[in-house]
Amino acid sequence: MPPLMGIEFLCRVADVLSEYLGGLNEDVIKDNFVIVYELLDEMIDNGFPLTTEPNILREMIAPPNIVSKVLSVVTGNSSNVSDTLPGATGSCVPWRAADPKYANNEVYVDLVEEMDAVINRDGVLVKCEIYGEVQVNSHLSGLPDLTLSFANPSILDDVRFHPCVRFRPWESHQLLSFVPPDGEFKLMSYRVKKLKSTPIYVKPQLTSDAGKCRVNVLVGIKNDPGKTIDSITLQFQLPPCILSADLTSNHGTVNILSNKICSWSIGRIPKDKAPSLTGTLVLETELERLHVFPTFRVGFRIMGVALSGLQIDKLDLKTVPNRLYKGFRALTRAGEFEVRS
Amino acid sequence: MAPPAQSQRSPSPSQPSGKSEVSDLKLQLRQLAGSRAPGVDDSKRELFKKVISYMTVGIDVSSLFGEMVMCSATSDIVLKKMCYLYVGNYAKVNPDLALLTINFLQRDCNDEDPMIRGLALRSLCSLRVANFVEYLVGPLGSGLKDSNSYVRMVAVIGVLKLYHISASTCVDADFPSILKHLMLNDSDTQVVANCLSALQEIWSAEASTSEEASREREALISKPVIYYLLNREFSEWAQCLVLELVTKYVPSDSSEIFDIMNLLEDRLQHANGAVVLATIKVFLHLTLSMTDVHQQVYERIKAPLLTLVSSGSPEQSYAVLSHLHLLVMRAPYIFSSDYKHFYCQYNEPSYVKRLKLEMLTAVANESNTYEIVTELCEYAANVDIPIARESIRAVGKIALQQYDVNAIVDRLLQFLEMEKDYVTAEALVLVKDLLRKYPQWSHDCIAVVGNISSKNVQEPKAKAALIWMLGEYSQDMQDAPYILESLVENWDEEHSAEVRLHLLTAVMKCFFKRPPETQNALGTALAAGIADFHQDVHDRALFYYRILQYNVSVAERVVNPPKQAVSVFADTQSSEIKDRIFDEFNSLSVVYQKPSYMFTDKEHRGPFEFSDELGNLSIGGEAADNVVSAQRVEENDKDLLLTTSEKEETRGSSNNGSAYTAPYDGSSTSVFALQTHIESAISNPTAADHSPQASLAIDDLLGLGLPAAPAPPSPQLKLNTTAALDPSTFQHKWRQLPVALSQEYSVSPQGVAALTAPQALLRHMQSHSIHCIASGGQSPNFKFFFFAQKAEEASNYLVECIISTSSAKAQIKIKADDQSTSQAFSTLFQSALSKFGIP
Repeated sequence: MPPLMGIEFLCRVADVLSEYLGGLNEDVIKDNFVIVYELLDEMIDNGFPLTTEPNILREMIAPPNIVSKVLSVVTGNSSNVSDTLPGATGSCVPWRAADPKYANNEVYVDLVEEMDAVINRDGVLVKCEIYGEVQVNSHLSGLPDLTLSFANPSILDDVRFHPCVRFRPWESHQLLSFVPPDGEFKLMSYRVKKLKSTPIYVKPQLTSDAGKCRVNVLVGIKNDPGKTIDSITLQFQLPPCILSADLTSNHGTVNILSNKICSWSIGRIPKDKAPSLTGTLVLETELERLHVFPTFRVGFRIMGVALSGLQIDKLDLKTVPNRLYKGFRALTRAGEFEVRS
Repeated sequence: MAPPAQSQRSPSPSQPSGKSEVSDLKLQLRQLAGSRAPGVDDSKRELFKKVISYMTVGIDVSSLFGEMVMCSATSDIVLKKMCYLYVGNYAKVNPDLALLTINFLQRDCNDEDPMIRGLALRSLCSLRVANFVEYLVGPLGSGLKDSNSYVRMVAVIGVLKLYHISASTCVDADFPSILKHLMLNDSDTQVVANCLSALQEIWSAEASTSEEASREREALISKPVIYYLLNREFSEWAQCLVLELVTKYVPSDSSEIFDIMNLLEDRLQHANGAVVLATIKVFLHLTLSMTDVHQQVYERIKAPLLTLVSSGSPEQSYAVLSHLHLLVMRAPYIFSSDYKHFYCQYNEPSYVKRLKLEMLTAVANESNTYEIVTELCEYAANVDIPIARESIRAVGKIALQQYDVNAIVDRLLQFLEMEKDYVTAEALVLVKDLLRKYPQWSHDCIAVVGNISSKNVQEPKAKAALIWMLGEYSQDMQDAPYILESLVENWDEEHSAEVRLHLLTAVMKCFFKRPPETQNALGTALAAGIADFHQDVHDRALFYYRILQYNVSVAERVVNPPKQAVSVFADTQSSEIKDRIFDEFNSLSVVYQKPSYMFTDKEHRGPFEFSDELGNLSIGGEAADNVVSAQRVEENDKDLLLTTSEKEETRGSSNNGSAYTAPYDGSSTSVFALQTHIESAISNPTAADHSPQASLAIDDLLGLGLPAAPAPPSPQLKLNTTAALDPSTFQHKWRQLPVALSQEYSVSPQGVAALTAPQALLRHMQSHSIHCIASGGQSPNFKFFFFAQKAEEASNYLVECIISTSSAKAQIKIKADDQSTSQAFSTLFQSALSKFGIP
């Protein structure tokens, strides 16, 4: 049995269920046994995965939402299952529901990037990578054929596509040519490795002496990305050998949670000062010095910038419908951003 | 699907207490059953929902069966679905009542709505009650011809379900050939995919008994079928299935290989990781024989694999990392520049971290060792203590596999100074291993080790390592005798026998180097050792005592000989097992790091696996399976013949051989026969009423040793003692000749004991004029290729012999130029083998 097949399928089931039920936990499932059974029935038979495309499933089994409830009251038709079978199962674009119609044709493209970085105790950037996704939200009538191009596709290291992307145009011209599914989907994911710098710096200093440890952490902007960096947070696990901690900051709030996780939420970095966290940790009685050093996990978010430098050049439609709106956005946030001390 | 009915489970307090609720429901359902009032469907639906949720949480609602069936006459599709679910769940425990449902299910199979047709057919096939198969055939037949693809899709899987309930019904109705037709012609790809999976399962199961089925199974991996499947657009899951099939296909030439790889290349970019991994398997297997292309494939698949590791859930990372681990072991240099991908992240689960540490050790080479070791050293200060230990061990492993260990030794010595118990402990063990391999570092290490107070070392392994170093380098360490002495004084507080053993030896060694300072300690240690309650410690102390009494210089030669540096530490996993895991790429074998035969039940194993258990002389089945898998066996044979390093050239060196007619050593063989008798009686208690073939084999075995027993009438067969055959001729013949005879029999316990290495058996068989051309394997599984020639004419016998010492079984396959004498030769071979190990 291929292991990834099992894992992928379970993830898909979880995705579909939470999409249908608006969440996934024991209670929700208990309240919706029937829907869950119906979905599983269509998704797997005798151990073989069948249909996992949410678009098609939605045509077979209506989600239990308010609209359908209202509809059933109004029309008197109480079934939440469509009477017709989806026609798309046999079509060449199985991910697309047959012929949706929209008064306003809209398509939004979002670049969402996550920065994974490891900085060691000497402040050296050990590893810095960006994992990015191109998320598309499409509400287009008919069978639209889109072409998306990047200004600098050469920086991408490895790419993975939604099945709708045609491979040949990408291979020859780095063009993404595709017929999109309706609604939100992940068009492509990519990786950019070997980045040289991070937008912010975090400098922790721990000096211990005679059963006490002084902590001093400085945070500041290193390379200004041109947009505001917000939602900056810093989290670290206090080592188990620490009896008590007294930590204060000159900006933002510091909380020590019951499981000895210290969390410092900074928000935006003020113009006039560099935020710092200072305080002392009291060690267990026999210990002179701290041997176990915490790892600081950093979170941040930058709207409007893709830190990898990837830029969308243009998005074309083969047949342009009337009243078309195209939108582009970018967002970078911290993924696994760690600073060791 | 629906969970099994748990009728015995008592409901927990938080749940409705069952009984009264169920009877309540029963009443309400009964009232609704006949009602035709408007809105009755809605109230029915509420009730059904309740029933289903009771069923799911484990309350037995099977008593409602009759009422449920009565209420099922409805046109509402949700009600129908719930009813099907209920029936499917309880049909098995209530087959009589289930009979009631057949009727309405069959009627629904002819409904005008294809969805209802499909659902009804699916439920009908899911009843899984053997008595109902007659009702299945009709609806399935029409379902396969249905105009709607949804119904066909369900029907195809239905055929498979029918096959598992009653194989004969399924085959008699000729469903497999209908499926085959559908697979090659249907317009809907999901139908095609389902046909493929159903046919694979049916034909593999049938192949052992039916010639035709095995031919059909082979036909699935024929060129037209593969190309047809490759050129259709499948859903992602079906693609996995097709790709798995393609790995079994053997292309005729390299241009075909490139065609397939070009066609599949875009799959490496697929969003579904399962498709990516299946594609990688195809690439790897297609290019196995083309070394340079194989390397390029590694380069090509690297990026997708690394992306799969870093995106997605930890479970996915782990599964992909296991596969990467396998590849890294095969080609470490390809991944050596990507070592940063294997750096651990703080909040990864430790099972991922552990695997990553192994990867880092595997990819370390001259160029990246410094960075990797630096990184590993940071983990040593990790909060997660097991990982910290692992990373120190990883540093040690890197040190042992590198030539330039200068920097690493410094690091390890830093660990020793870190003053953390577990770090010191791990580092001590490593320094010990390091010194065994690089004695030239002793000076630097000893200086640091000498500073460690033995009181701070508690773990037995570390303590033993420290004591070993104290003994080995006592001449360089000023305090060694005194430290040892204090340890000896605390003999009774030392709980680990391992440490006490090491202590004895160390004191001995120290004594030979610095006698005056150690004499007291030695006396105390020997006295304490002899009084020790642990058998090994006691024995060793006594041994030392007596050898010292006998002659001190002999004792020194024994205990403290000049040592050679260890160059290679034993590998834990044989390369054969690794290859086998590689054959099972993209399966759980890789994740468990074990070939599938080690974790699957015997009946689920492939035909060609070694058996680990005693008993079960199922010759008939095994033999048929072997014939079926001949192609695969052939491949293995080729490998073995071409690559085995232990290939022995036995030509022209066998003048000491004797003919088969040599008289038996009566006494020992009769003992042997008795033992075989007992053994086969134990291993096969039902031997008497076994298949005739099996009991024949036992007769053979029993008859072998006793000349009085009726042996098959061909003792005249004489073999040429100086037979010669060169490997290429052997290989050629082996491929051409059919299998004349295929048998399995037991090996005597003495034989098993004597078979520690292949060479032992080779010499023995040679004395019976049966020569070995190639051999391989390690305990417990050995494989041999023998050949022999008839004395008068140039007629050859070729034998493949697989011996598993763990199960004391030998599997023999004989091919012969002259088929008619193969039985006689087999007898001869058996008798030769049976005498192996008996002096």
